[in-house]
Amino acid sequence: MSTIQVENIVKAFGSQRAVDGVSFEVNPGEIFGLLGPNGAGKTTTIRILLDIFKADSGRVSILGGAMTEEKKNRIGYLPEERGLYQEIKLEQCLTYLATLKGLSQAEATRRINVYLERFDLAQHRKKKLKELSKGMQQKAQLIVTLVHEPDVLIIDEPFSALDPVNTQMVKDLLLEERGKNRTIVLCTHQMHQVEELCDRIVLINQGKSVLYGGLEEIRRRFAGQDLLLRTPTALPAALPGVASYEHTNGGYHLMLSAGSDPQAVLAGLLSAGITVEQFEIAMPTMDEIFIRVVTGDSSNE
Amino acid sequence: MEKMLLVLKNEFRVVVLRKSFFLTLILVPLIGTVIFGIFGSIGGTDPTSAIGRIISSPEEVKPEGLVDQSGLIQSMLEGMEADLIQFPDEAAANQALQAGQIDSYYILPPDFLQSGEITYLRTDFNPLGGMDRSGNLFAVIRHNLLIDDPQLLERVNQPYNLEVTYTSQQPVRDSGSFLSFMVPYIVTMLFYMVILTSASMMLNSITTEKENRVMEVLMTSITPTQMLGGKIIALGLAGLLQTTVWMGYSYLVMMLSRSSVPELATFIITPSLLVWGMVFFLLGYAVYAALMSGVGALVPNLREASQATTIVIIPLVIPLFFINTLAEKPNGIISLVLSLFPLTSPITMMARLSTAIVPWWQLAISVALLAATAFFLIRAVAGMFRAQRLLSGQTFNLKLFFNALRGKA
Repeated sequence: MSTIQVENIVKAFGSQRAVDGVSFEVNPGEIFGLLGPNGAGKTTTIRILLDIFKADSGRVSILGGAMTEEKKNRIGYLPEERGLYQEIKLEQCLTYLATLKGLSQAEATRRINVYLERFDLAQHRKKKLKELSKGMQQKAQLIVTLVHEPDVLIIDEPFSALDPVNTQMVKDLLLEERGKNRTIVLCTHQMHQVEELCDRIVLINQGKSVLYGGLEEIRRRFAGQDLLLRTPTALPAALPGVASYEHTNGGYHLMLSAGSDPQAVLAGLLSAGITVEQFEIAMPTMDEIFIRVVTGDSSNE
Repeated sequence: MEKMLLVLKNEFRVVVLRKSFFLTLILVPLIGTVIFGIFGSIGGTDPTSAIGRIISSPEEVKPEGLVDQSGLIQSMLEGMEADLIQFPDEAAANQALQAGQIDSYYILPPDFLQSGEITYLRTDFNPLGGMDRSGNLFAVIRHNLLIDDPQLLERVNQPYNLEVTYTSQQPVRDSGSFLSFMVPYIVTMLFYMVILTSASMMLNSITTEKENRVMEVLMTSITPTQMLGGKIIALGLAGLLQTTVWMGYSYLVMMLSRSSVPELATFIITPSLLVWGMVFFLLGYAVYAALMSGVGALVPNLREASQATTIVIIPLVIPLFFINTLAEKPNGIISLVLSLFPLTSPITMMARLSTAIVPWWQLAISVALLAATAFFLIRAVAGMFRAQRLLSGQTFNLKLFFNALRGKA
C-alpha cells in the first residue's frame, strides 16, 4: 500500500488556482521527487500533504488515512525557508522542537547530542542560531527533521546553502534513511540530485501534474533516436540507418533515421568491421527533460 | 494538552530569561523609587533627600517690616518678632530695607480701619510668589483687631473642630499624604504598563515566529489552538510575575520606610486590593492578549501591525485621559462607566479600588463583563488561528481584522 496517496487535489487562493488536479502516489521506502519550476504549486501541494492547508477538493491519504495529531509525530518536514528561533541557543531550540514531536526531554537530548556530533555542530550547541552560518543552520534544520526518526520525510530543497562536502553528507543521509525503509518526498530544483537520488518523480507546472512516473522510464520516454558510440575506428561517411553523426569528446553522437532500430544499427556497425567499445541509447538529462516539459517542447517525447 | 504545556514552558522560559524582561523587572521599581525619593521629599519646606535638597533648596528668607500709621497694632504675636519687625516710621523701615536687614515692608495708613488699604514695598519683582508671606501680617492684624475678646479671636482663628467618623472601612486615600494621594495615579499607570507590556509580548512572539519561519515547522507539530493556549498562559504568567515583583517590591519598600517617612504611616495597601489586582490583571491581559494575537495572526510581520495595535490600544489609553476624574471622583458617573466597560475596566476599576470603596455589585458586574469578553475574544481569535491564515502572508487591513474577529473572513 502506498505511504502517500494524492488524488486530484485542487487549491485556489482567490481567483488563482495554485494546485489544479494533482495526483500521485509515493511508495514505502522510495525517494520521490516533487519537481516543478518556481510558483508551480509544489509548496502548496506539500502544505496540503501536511494538513497545513486544506484542499478545496480532492483527497489526501498519508500513512493509511487522513492526517491526525499522532501522525504528525511520524512525519519529518524540512521547509524551503528555514524555520528556527534565532534568539535562543541551538541546543535549546532543537530540544524544544524535538519534544513537540513527541520525544521525552531526555531522549531528545540524547539523540540531539548524537546528531550534533555527526553534523560537526557540537561545539556550537551553546550559540544562538543567529550566530551560526547558513550552512550550519541548514544542518540544524535537518536535525529537527530527522531527530524523531519519522516514517515519512518531506524535504524541500535540502541542499541549499550547503558546500559540496555537506551536500554529499546529506545525500548519504537520505540514502541511509531510504535504506531504513523510510519514505522520502524530495522537492528540489537541482536535477542532477534528482537523477542521483530519486526513484520516481512528479513534475508540476502551473498547478498541474505534467510528468509522473519512474525516473528511468521517463528518461527512456524522452530518449528519442540518438545513440552514443565509443570506438577507436574511424567511421565511414555513411552508415546504414544513421541520418548523421557528430564527433564528440572520445566518441560519436549518432542521430538515427526515422524508423531505424538501434539494434539494427549496432549489427550494421559490427558487420562493417567497426570495433564497438561502448554503444548506448543517449538518455536525456533531467535538466533537459525539465526544460522541455516546462517550456512546452514535446519533441522526442 | 501535553504539547500546549510544552509551548507554555518554552514561551515562559524564553520570555523571562530575556535580558529586556529582566531589566524591566528590576529597573522599573528602581526608577520609581528614585522618582518618589526625589518628589516625595521636595513637597514640604524641608527636603528629606540629598537630591531633593538640590532640586528644591530652601531660599534665604529675610524678615519683613511693618510701619503702623493707624495705631491699630498694639502688640506683635509671640514668636513672630523675627519674621515681622515693626518700625516707628517709613524712613526707618526704608533704611533697614536699604541695609538689607529686611527685603520688604508694609505701611498701614492712618485710615486703615476705614479703607482696609495697605501699601507693600519690596525690592524685587515677583508677582507669583511675592505675597505668599502675607499670612504673618494677616494674623497680626486679626490679633490686634480682637485683642479685647480672646474667645471671639479663638473662633475666628479656628471656626470649628471637625471630627470625622467613617461608617465603612476607611478609604486608602488620604489627600494630606503625598504618597497616598498618588495611589490612583500609580495604580492606573502600573496596570496600563503591565497589561500593555504583556499583551505586546504576545504580538511580538507570534510575529517573530512568522518572521523566523518557525511557524511552518510548528504547524506540522502542534495545532494552532495548542499554540495560542500555551502562549496566552505563558505570557500571562510572565506578566503576573512582573506585577507581583513590582507590587511586592513597592510593599516591601513601604514597610521598611515607614519609620523614616511619616507619610507612609498613613498609607495602606489592603490584601483585597492585591487580590483584585491579580483578577483584573489576568482578565485584562486575557482580553488584550487575545486582541493582539488576532493582529499577530493576520499580519505578515511586526511592522505591518502598528496600525492595528494603535486601534487596539486606544481603549486602554482612555482611562489615562480621565486619570484626574478617576482620582478625584472615584464613584462618579465617568468612573462608573469606564469601570464597567470591559475594554477600560481593568485599569479604571483598579484606580477606583485604590482610592474609594466600590460597591460589590459594581465589582461583580465589571468582573463578569470582563470575563465574558475575554472568553468570547479568545474563542474568536482561536478561530483566526488557522494554519493557512498564519502562513498566508496576506496584506493586513482593519476591515480584515474585524471581519476575522466576527468569523467572517
